[in-house]
Amino acid sequence: MNDGLVQILDGNTFVVSDDRGDIEASLTDPTGLFSFDTRFLSKWVLTVNGERLGALSVDDLQYFETRFFLVPGTGTVYIDAKLSVIRQRSVGMGFHEDLTILNHADKPVNLTVRLEAGSDFADLFEVKDALQKKGTYSARIRGGQLVLGYERATFRRATAISASEPARIDKSGLTFRIRIGPHGEWNTALDVVTLQLGAGQEAPQARRTRAGRLSMQRNLEKWIDDAPRVECDSGPLQTTYRRSLVDLAALRFSPPIAGGHSLPAAGLPWFMTMFGRDSIFTSLQALPFTPELAATTLRALGDWQGSRSDDFRDEDPGRILHEMRYGEMTAFEERPHSPYYGSVDATPLYVVLLDEYERWTGDRKLVRDLEHEARAALNWIDEYADLQGTGYIWYRRRNEETGLENQCWKDSWDSISYRDGKLPGFPRATCELQGYAYDAKVRGARLARDIWKDRELADRLEKEAADLKRRFNRDFWVEDGEYFALALDQEGNKVDALSSNNGHLLWSGIVDKSKAKALAAHLLGPRLFSGWGVRTLAEGEGRYNPIGYHVGTVWPFDNSFIAWGLRRYGFKEEAAAIAAGILDAAEFFDGRLPEAFGGYERSQTKYPVQYPTACSPQAWSTGTPLLLLRTMLGLEPHGDNLVVDPALPMSIGHLELLDIPGRWGRIDAFGRGRVDVGKKRAARG
Amino acid sequence: MTDPTTEFFESLRERGHEPRLRQATGTFRFELTKAGKIDRWHITLKRGDVTVLHRGGDADCIVRTDRAVFDRLASGELNGVAAVFRGELVAEGDWKLLVLFQRLFPGKAPSPAKRSRAGYSRRRA
Repeated sequence: MNDGLVQILDGNTFVVSDDRGDIEASLTDPTGLFSFDTRFLSKWVLTVNGERLGALSVDDLQYFETRFFLVPGTGTVYIDAKLSVIRQRSVGMGFHEDLTILNHADKPVNLTVRLEAGSDFADLFEVKDALQKKGTYSARIRGGQLVLGYERATFRRATAISASEPARIDKSGLTFRIRIGPHGEWNTALDVVTLQLGAGQEAPQARRTRAGRLSMQRNLEKWIDDAPRVECDSGPLQTTYRRSLVDLAALRFSPPIAGGHSLPAAGLPWFMTMFGRDSIFTSLQALPFTPELAATTLRALGDWQGSRSDDFRDEDPGRILHEMRYGEMTAFEERPHSPYYGSVDATPLYVVLLDEYERWTGDRKLVRDLEHEARAALNWIDEYADLQGTGYIWYRRRNEETGLENQCWKDSWDSISYRDGKLPGFPRATCELQGYAYDAKVRGARLARDIWKDRELADRLEKEAADLKRRFNRDFWVEDGEYFALALDQEGNKVDALSSNNGHLLWSGIVDKSKAKALAAHLLGPRLFSGWGVRTLAEGEGRYNPIGYHVGTVWPFDNSFIAWGLRRYGFKEEAAAIAAGILDAAEFFDGRLPEAFGGYERSQTKYPVQYPTACSPQAWSTGTPLLLLRTMLGLEPHGDNLVVDPALPMSIGHLELLDIPGRWGRIDAFGRGRVDVGKKRAARG
Repeated sequence: MTDPTTEFFESLRERGHEPRLRQATGTFRFELTKAGKIDRWHITLKRGDVTVLHRGGDADCIVRTDRAVFDRLASGELNGVAAVFRGELVAEGDWKLLVLFQRLFPGKAPSPAKRSRAGYSRRRA
């Protein structure tokens, strides 16, 4: 809940209302019923005898279901309630609302119950940017339903509203004239169904059943039952783990083409769509827990892989998409999201996920099925991403109006800077991209050799990877600071600020062994490590700001990959210190890590200061505790076995992760906290 | 054989195999309306092998649109996905097949000015 708003969702259909269950949206006000990036209801207001209701309480039953307890009147001083009103609402193809009115008096009562309904059919992008609509509206009463419509050429959207009890329907709502006996009650079920119609299609009579809600309930229970169990001395860790599983369930999104399978969307509710980068990172984090997310991510992103050159979409053959949207502005190509391809990390990371997925699950069939896609992705790195012909991945948008300027994960305008705060021109080659490319080639070589049986490709990729590693360690190394530059600018000069990206380089394996110790010292040193986690940009850099989006805040997701990177190079205790800091922070958010929090020194604020963001939970923050469990326990597939090599902070005590799924069937891992992270922190720098 | 639609399907028939459709197995019926008449094309996909017939028939995915719209898709003037979102192209049945099939539509020809800045250079030796 944000600002007294209540949200429930199923996939990309969600309802945001006030605490009475009412929706009264304006073009810029983000309440309403949304589906496929379109607002299908912008007004949904309940009155009894012309009077608005007041909220007694809201029960968030599940992420897809909520219940509002209301009484007539909105006064705050004294409520003489002879009536109670209960609205129970669940999402799915629109929403279903059970409306109950209880008469507490010993006399019968006559009531006029009214639901005022309307829709502006705004595109999510319009809600964000407050733009005006270009089509025409309609309202019809047909077959006992109120059908609200919107039409712009062949683009048609409609909302059908119906009730189980007799109602007088007019073009702006439904009215019930009812009589409730002494201590009696009255019920009606309301269905709001969203419709997307193509040319020549008629609106079907749509009515949703309760079966949908029950199956969602069972689905959530099964999701939690199927995941590994955590047993440990630390209560907060149990809470955080449970929270992550439930939030990850809510963040699941079934693209229309995925045959009912789900992948992780980026954030709830505004980013409930496929994002290449976010879906891949979250699938990687969740691999030891729910590997099926990775399988769906790989298949769906493969289906949408770029196949041609298209400047408007920043599309190239082999490129993995950045973001998919379904709304009106996308349909009329006023936005490029059909899909938009403007990210340069998703494509190498696609190959990384495919390999990591097979290492955990042994699902060779998927690797064979996606051979063409993986080869095209590997080919993209060399053929299309090397804008300067220097053997590195570069980015510069071709869509200069609505494309993204920064096509790496730190995508805000000022995220890439020199020490003195100056911003480089374009194209840019940020360092972590080269690490991902290296890792993609090394892993691609393994897949080529072991599964595609193409030795020639394997040899070539290995040779290219070794060459890339050699050049990278020479061209990006900042000699006087002993770390890797954030990027190269278009002249090939180092963009020399110290940043958290160094941790991702450890994760990718591109770092020379001789340089790793200096990086670990930086990551746990006073300029980068706040005590809670690693800052995106080091204190002392020109643009450092502890509450700057990518220039000083701490991102939990970033830290989970840094911890993984530290483990990869043998820095177990350093990885444990980061895990301890982030998990301590999670306690302050009841187990739900935000996208980012302030980079203030831990000793200064005592609690992590949340960075204000629109989406919560955010998928890769939700995945963070999962990846930290993996890094703390040192879980690593080795052939058909799972190696366990724990290095736990002392604060965790005893930890068991039971029934870890993988190519070994199910396996348990145990560990005991022995790392004194306080000592680690005291000794840093 | 000068119209883009016929050219598109004929060229697909001649190729007979399309690696970009390696993941696709199933059948299409395209119903393209022009001046009240329906031009039907039937496509069978089998892991990249393509059979094209200029007639109707049962299909897993039925796509209906104006012949003029399909001409523009086939020549790269229109984007297939946006056309579906707009409702200009209506698909019934297996959506995934259409997602894969739309890869075959060419993109808008890129402007040479942008292309020169935006890559395609091979790595130096």
